[in-house]
Amino acid sequence: SSSKEKPADYVYFERTTAGFSDDAVPRAKAAQLKLEHFYKVAVDAAIERNTRRVELERKLAADTTMSDERKQRHLIQLGKRESAFLRLRRTKLGLDDFRTVKVIGKGAFGEVRVVQKSDTGKIYAMKTLRKEEMLKKDQLAHVRAERDVLAESNSPWVVQLYYSFQDPTYLYLIMEFLPGGDLMTMLIKYDTFSEDVTRFYIAECVLAIEAVHKLGFIHRDIKPDNILIDKDGHIKLSDFGLSTGFHKQHDSSYYQRLLESANGATSPTSAARNSVMVNAIHLTMSNKDQIATWKANRRKLAYSTVGTPDYIAPEIFLQKGYGNECDWWSLGAIMFECLVGYPPFCSESTHDTYQKIIHWQTYLIFPDDVHLSREAEDIIRRLITSPERRLNVDQIKHHPFFYGVNWGSIRTIEAPFVPRLRSITDTSYFPTDELEQVPEEPTGGDASAANKDLAFLGYTFKRFTISSHAF
Amino acid sequence: TPGPGNAQKPLYLCSPFADAALVVGNFKTIVMQPKHVDVLEWVAVNIFDFYQNLNLFYGVLAECCTQQSCPTMSAGPQLNYTWINQDRKSVQLPAPTYIDYVMTWVQNLLDDENVFPTRSGREFPPNFPSTVKHVYRQLLRVFAHLYHAHYPQILHLRSEPHFNSLFAHFLAFGKEYQLLDMKDVQGQPGSPVGIGALYDKWKDKGILSA
Ligand SMILES: Nc1ncnc2c1ncn2[C@@H]1O[C@H](COP(=O)(O)OP(=O)(O)OP(=O)(O)O)[C@@H](O)[C@H]1O
Repeated sequence: SSSKEKPADYVYFERTTAGFSDDAVPRAKAAQLKLEHFYKVAVDAAIERNTRRVELERKLAADTTMSDERKQRHLIQLGKRESAFLRLRRTKLGLDDFRTVKVIGKGAFGEVRVVQKSDTGKIYAMKTLRKEEMLKKDQLAHVRAERDVLAESNSPWVVQLYYSFQDPTYLYLIMEFLPGGDLMTMLIKYDTFSEDVTRFYIAECVLAIEAVHKLGFIHRDIKPDNILIDKDGHIKLSDFGLSTGFHKQHDSSYYQRLLESANGATSPTSAARNSVMVNAIHLTMSNKDQIATWKANRRKLAYSTVGTPDYIAPEIFLQKGYGNECDWWSLGAIMFECLVGYPPFCSESTHDTYQKIIHWQTYLIFPDDVHLSREAEDIIRRLITSPERRLNVDQIKHHPFFYGVNWGSIRTIEAPFVPRLRSITDTSYFPTDELEQVPEEPTGGDASAANKDLAFLGYTFKRFTISSHAF
Repeated sequence: TPGPGNAQKPLYLCSPFADAALVVGNFKTIVMQPKHVDVLEWVAVNIFDFYQNLNLFYGVLAECCTQQSCPTMSAGPQLNYTWINQDRKSVQLPAPTYIDYVMTWVQNLLDDENVFPTRSGREFPPNFPSTVKHVYRQLLRVFAHLYHAHYPQILHLRSEPHFNSLFAHFLAFGKEYQLLDMKDVQGQPGSPVGIGALYDKWKDKGILSA
């Protein structure tokens, strides 16, 4: 039999956990998972670092006008950035490094605060998320998705995440602070916008949603409260709490398995094996495998029903799977609200809203007392429609409603409302007086079961582009 | 059943455990100094990671490494490491005490802004290379003890692919940056280090490049 192939020094070893304390096995499993994660990240980081260098070298090589001396300086600069990033990995940031300026928002799992980093004096927005709540609501996979979208993008259309850390109770996201508030607050203030103003915001949203889709994500929860306004009055998307990427780790069942395996639920067959099976991590520079898995998963459709229903596309409720077209429906609903003053299917109860959305053919009604141009009504009707007939991003950009929009430069033109700010910590565009019951400083936390931390593995994140942000 | 002559052979040198690995392929990918990057910064972050990861596994094995089970810091049948105390005397310590001293000492260095600077613009001290060599040597001793004294427990906890890869990475890194002294791996003629044979075995198998 197979024993013939066994080397002379092959040894059978009877494995048992009899002599160990109760938590030795879960702790060992946790250590293994952490090390697996460590090596995955190490390999990815090496690939990415290499890519950054090769790209720069290629760019410099192609530039025939730049002097060699300047090229050399560019490479030195890259080396400095990379070195600073390595240094950042050794730097521990925690709650102590930030001081609360003001509470500015509240979400399902915690609050958003304007904070100041003590040593540099820089201002950030800090979002706290209560782990316990997220475990209860099975939101872990979603949070991971949020972190990844924010972290992976260098896009001007997505709120930048600089840093994240955790304590036993909370996860903390340190993001760029957008002082202009959000579109919801703006709509509350102005009720409706003119078509010109609407064109500006919706056109920016088109580019922002396109950017998210290009990252391989579906936002799924685009609504006015997630459209934030920067200091110049341009928009950025935030809150990827519900967005679903195609990474394995965004799958809720992945976390479930993680927690189960950490609890020592090993199958009898694996217990009987003499050698331990691991999914080996390959030290290869090629990212072909990564692209292949990504492509394979790309086709996989996401199923789930969550969030405030007003802007959500019907196919999401119908559980038949959907693609990124669902975000264009949401945009249609937001555009309707900008021009009409309320979202198209708003009702007394969420149940009624669901019903109206599913029967949108009956309930999409443009009120008589609000005048909309033909083009505006037309594009809304081509967004709030069945997924097959919904416009895609190119069709949207070429729709007559956007006639005259310069898609390449819209972010550089003057915005219709530019926030008037008295200081870098001005929070007058946020409903801060409604948030007085929220504690000024997050309390931090202690004690929670050790294995709960597992699901948040890999959460601690540090952004690459630190040099310009002086962390 | 073990074949003849295997009775004395430590488990970490036997099949299939010696070959168990989480990470396969050439360690160069993650060991080699990234182009244009400051070598001190690269060494610092790697030492930081080795410490964290080793600490992770020691944290699991600590319950098996007691004053009773390990009255000395052993790393081979004839080898016990000694600790140099404040009076510059070398003393025998129980392994858990010795390891605790090492880990605390390294943690303090890592937290010391003058030794491992983290603030931007701050330079590494001139003696950084020699400090790191010291640190590396002591961490190597911790690995050596865990292999010699606790490998069966590592097997019971099914951690051998992980622990092997961490150690192989540690060795590959030490070799690349001249932190690894072959004397520390092989030991003295009369008192070899247990992991010396593992090092040779991995080299033969190409797990560590020659
Ligand atoms: N980076 C930021 N800069 C400025 N304000 C922000 C930032 N992030 C969030 N906010 C404010 O905080 C509010 C709540 O944030 P967010 O929507 O991210 O929370 P949430 O927990 O996801 O809430 P929900 O899940 O209910 O949407 C936002 O509507 C916005 O006003």
